[in-house]
Amino acid sequence: MTQNEMNQKTSGPVKQHMGLRASRMLSNSAIYVLLIAISIIWLIPFVCIVLQSFRVESTWQVGYVIPQQWGLDNYRNLFNTDFPRWYVNTFISALATAVLQTIIVLCMSYTLSRFRFKMRKPLMRFMLILGMFPGMLTMIILYRVLKDLGLTQQNSVPGLILVYVASSGMGYYVSKGFFDTIPKSLDEAARVDGATRFQVLKKIILPLSKPIVIYTILTAFMAPWGDFVFARYIAFGSSAGSNVAVGLYNWLNKDQIAKYYTTFCAGGVMVAIPVTVLFMCLQKYYVEGVTGGAVKG
Amino acid sequence: MASVKLTDVKKVYDNKVTAVHDFNLEIADKEFVVFVGPSGCGKSTTLRMIAGLEDISGGTVEIDGVVVNDLQPKDRDIAMVFQNYALYPHMTVYDNIAFSLRLKKMPEDEVYERVTNAAEILGITEYLTRKPRALSGGQRQRVAIGRAMVRNSKVFLMDEPLSNLDAKLRNQMRAEIILLRQKLNTTFVYVTHDQTEAMTLGDRIVIMRDGIIEQVGTPTEVFEMPHNLFVAEFIGAPKMNLMETKLVKEGDKYFVTPFGAKIEVNGAKAEELKGVKAESQEIILGVRPEHIVLANEPGEHAIPCKLEVNEMMGSELHLHVYTEDETRLIVRIPTINLTMEERKELVYGKQLYITFEGKVMHFFKKDGLNLIYG
Amino acid sequence: MKKYSDLEYLKLSKGKKRLYKLQSFFCAIPQKILALFLGLWNIIKGCCLKVRDEALDIYSTFVHGDWKTKVSFLVMGFGCLARGQILRGLLFLLFEVVFIGYMFIAGGYWLSMLPSLGKVGPSEEYNVIFDTYVTTYNDNSFKILLYGVLTIFFIIAFVYTWRLNVKQNKLAEQILSSGKKLRSGKDDLKSLVDDQFHKTLLSLPLIGILVFTVLPIVFMILVAFTNYDGTHDGYYNNLFTWVGLTNFNTMLSWTANTGAGTQSYAATFGEVLSWTLMWAFFATFSNYFLGMFVAMAINKKGIKLKKLWRTILVLTIAIPQFISLLYVSKMFAKNGIINGFLMSMGWIDEALPFWDKASWARITVIIINIWIGIPHLMLIATGILMNIPQDLYESARIDGANAWQQYSKITLPYMLFVTGPYLLTSFTGNMNNFNVIYLLTGGAPTNPAASSAAGTVGYTDLLITWLFKITTGAESQYYLASVVGILVFVVVSLISLVVYNVLPSIKNEEDFQ
Repeated sequence: MTQNEMNQKTSGPVKQHMGLRASRMLSNSAIYVLLIAISIIWLIPFVCIVLQSFRVESTWQVGYVIPQQWGLDNYRNLFNTDFPRWYVNTFISALATAVLQTIIVLCMSYTLSRFRFKMRKPLMRFMLILGMFPGMLTMIILYRVLKDLGLTQQNSVPGLILVYVASSGMGYYVSKGFFDTIPKSLDEAARVDGATRFQVLKKIILPLSKPIVIYTILTAFMAPWGDFVFARYIAFGSSAGSNVAVGLYNWLNKDQIAKYYTTFCAGGVMVAIPVTVLFMCLQKYYVEGVTGGAVKG
Repeated sequence: MASVKLTDVKKVYDNKVTAVHDFNLEIADKEFVVFVGPSGCGKSTTLRMIAGLEDISGGTVEIDGVVVNDLQPKDRDIAMVFQNYALYPHMTVYDNIAFSLRLKKMPEDEVYERVTNAAEILGITEYLTRKPRALSGGQRQRVAIGRAMVRNSKVFLMDEPLSNLDAKLRNQMRAEIILLRQKLNTTFVYVTHDQTEAMTLGDRIVIMRDGIIEQVGTPTEVFEMPHNLFVAEFIGAPKMNLMETKLVKEGDKYFVTPFGAKIEVNGAKAEELKGVKAESQEIILGVRPEHIVLANEPGEHAIPCKLEVNEMMGSELHLHVYTEDETRLIVRIPTINLTMEERKELVYGKQLYITFEGKVMHFFKKDGLNLIYG
Repeated sequence: MKKYSDLEYLKLSKGKKRLYKLQSFFCAIPQKILALFLGLWNIIKGCCLKVRDEALDIYSTFVHGDWKTKVSFLVMGFGCLARGQILRGLLFLLFEVVFIGYMFIAGGYWLSMLPSLGKVGPSEEYNVIFDTYVTTYNDNSFKILLYGVLTIFFIIAFVYTWRLNVKQNKLAEQILSSGKKLRSGKDDLKSLVDDQFHKTLLSLPLIGILVFTVLPIVFMILVAFTNYDGTHDGYYNNLFTWVGLTNFNTMLSWTANTGAGTQSYAATFGEVLSWTLMWAFFATFSNYFLGMFVAMAINKKGIKLKKLWRTILVLTIAIPQFISLLYVSKMFAKNGIINGFLMSMGWIDEALPFWDKASWARITVIIINIWIGIPHLMLIATGILMNIPQDLYESARIDGANAWQQYSKITLPYMLFVTGPYLLTSFTGNMNNFNVIYLLTGGAPTNPAASSAAGTVGYTDLLITWLFKITTGAESQYYLASVVGILVFVVVSLISLVVYNVLPSIKNEEDFQ
């Protein structure tokens, strides 16, 4: 028997109303407690990073969070390392990737959403199968080829961009899902109105695709900031050719951590700031892309 | 302002399903042709093949004597109105209508001239600066028509343009399309599943089923001389009553014997039966609801039946009756022919006697073809 | 097994219904497998028929074609040129010239070396003038394999183009004989932004995928059949060569090997695989259900500040994973903040072994992965929850369903239907979730018994991190990495195939629409 029915039996409609409200209050406050707890748990690591980046008294891990001595030493220290170089490397590759990858992904997904050609289904199936191979395997050969081309170690940035961008056509799912939601009759109307396929894309589809274009740019821009595997392989020990992820990772090695732990925190903050700010501004589009993509599969 | 000619046009999809079988039709200049049929009959596919939005698997489509099979839609000089309007959501009404003209690189002042002109005809001048999403269904439909209108193209294609509107608006827009047609004076191809639209709009109606043309004719022809059972049932509402019975020839006269009654065929129909030298045979008899009349008492030509449902439609009554062998028939009677008392008596279970008008019956052979016209 | 009709089935009791479903599920498996093989057979048959048809078509084109067509069989594009389609003709001709030139200059060499992968390795010779040993480098196995594969690709492309050229001629003859005009070069260029626009759009992405994904994958599959590793790098020290199925034998054999550990490779592989599957299962479903739960909590009627709660969670997506993961991994370290906090509160006496014991480490990575994954799932679930038609709940409430029943009979089935494919991809994605494992534990703690000649294998190592370790380890056993990679592919594709074919929920996607 539900609470509802019980109330109905024991007392009149007035009491039932009160009971409902009381039980809702109870469950709502439980949820508030939960949400506050979740918020704390999710934010703590970031608060810790920020606090420790201002800690001066020790560069190594300590058992407390709030610094005893505040200062910008760690940030100043960043400039004595290769960090600015890593930062620039990452920024350039993120920017280039954002532009090129967006173009490629949009070409691919628009075509697969709008054109019906003989090879369409086989092509999609083929890419699905390709995606089941661990991409990491290709690293070995890509490294050697890029090495032959002179695009590794200190020259790793163009090599990295090439690797990021070249296969990005495989990640067409989310934006294809978006294009699928634009009614096909718009294309048809425009074609009857005298537009070529190219004009349809330029004048009808692209203006309607702002959310997905921004989503694609955003994700493409964010990926290189966090890429670790390829970047490390292609930089291959060269500090000048590292990106932030590889550089900062190395600071946490057993022999470096004691010296660089708080500097790592400062570096992390520096990396997180631009990405987070950009992300917060464009959050709306990201949410749209993620939810749409999951539903479409 | 052009003729359209379809010769053996065929559509076969990749999964080997044939949507349209050898379709042959000539549409004259300035004619208004309606494709009508149940959903999935291939009517829209045929229209889209004329538009160039669907590949043609076989046969040829000619517009103004030119084979257009391999031409892109933009090169066929056609205008089209879509079922869901297909307005460009990011453009204002003005830009929507002007889109095709600008693609043609027409000077802006001429674009302005044409767009405002069309807007005036359609009564949407005050909405020109709005976006489509701020418009009601009827207004959107007008914009879609306006977009097709300004182009002065050879052929005007409409794919179920009214089916997204509510009933009242649909009637109003139907009237407006008739007016529009007089103003534009061009060739129209119109697709609908609604036989009323087909009857009221078309110079000629093409009735399709499963990708095959069942009959082509003027509204009067398809209504009065259906070639087969399908057309007979599809055109007219409520639909024609059908019953298995016998045609009996006695000397010079023809009789039908539904449910034990014996009704004489007379008037033009009797002459036509003579004309095709019809013999006595098993037939399917078709009688439209409005051609059934109430007989007051039992008799040789009266069929006894019981009333099941009485639908009051205002100016007429639709009586659903069932005969002794449980065949259901619909009878349509003008309200004006009955007194108030008589109407009150028409309740469930009431015993009725009905008979058929002898001069407007339809006779079909067992295979569904019309005995006279099939 | 007895088959019930629909009405008979409805009469069964609840338990019997379940049993019946289970039975029919398992009874259907042999059929499904049979259907799979039949499908495969049909594909093969279809291919054979296709090849036959093509050959016949080429033959008839040659026999019935005019002299222009016949010359085109040798000189590609001749027919086009002779019929006035200059652009097409030139492109065909150019391709043929380039192809023949390439085959003469380089392709022939690479192809001829492919069976041996190089004959002469680097050699050291005493150089009298400089009074030192000088190494001369000779064949390069790596390049031979790479360019050999490339040359084969090129040959396939050439055959395809040649076939296209033959088809073109046949088509042109047909068009001309029906009295129509051929497309000019200008028409061809125009069609690239119109009816052939898809080819223009796809060319760049597909070339990228071909060169940077397909080619490397083919190369790496082939590497599994060689002895390419750090000591046989194919150029600087030793050549590598074909070894057949030896590597697969090593990986899948149960005899203990001579490497670091005492276990056989097969046993190690089995352990890593089972942890990988376990991890993928827990990582996927814990995130899925908890994310859904959080989304429902935020979405609940009457909860205020919905946007704030969501933003806090979304914020954590923005921060690059490597920062948060590395940081969190240090937080849980022996001398990290967590242990420090717990000890200062006096709740524990000595540091908890978050990363030092197998089961601790495994549970910790799963929990931290929840921390990583929930914001994402929360977003996805929020979007879907908002799309569930409210009248479903209203009618359920009128029918007397309580909150739990509403969840289990409406929300959950709806979510599962809509996100079925997503769940599958996220499962396989988690199997290959390199970042979380590598940045958190690096695979630790080490499994001393596990064998991997190239370094260590840990209890939290997934197949993918193991693969990475093999390639970056001291001996760089690329051939073994490649075998592991192929096995990962086999596992992932098997799972996908089974899920797609057996589970009805993914196929009947439209049930809820």
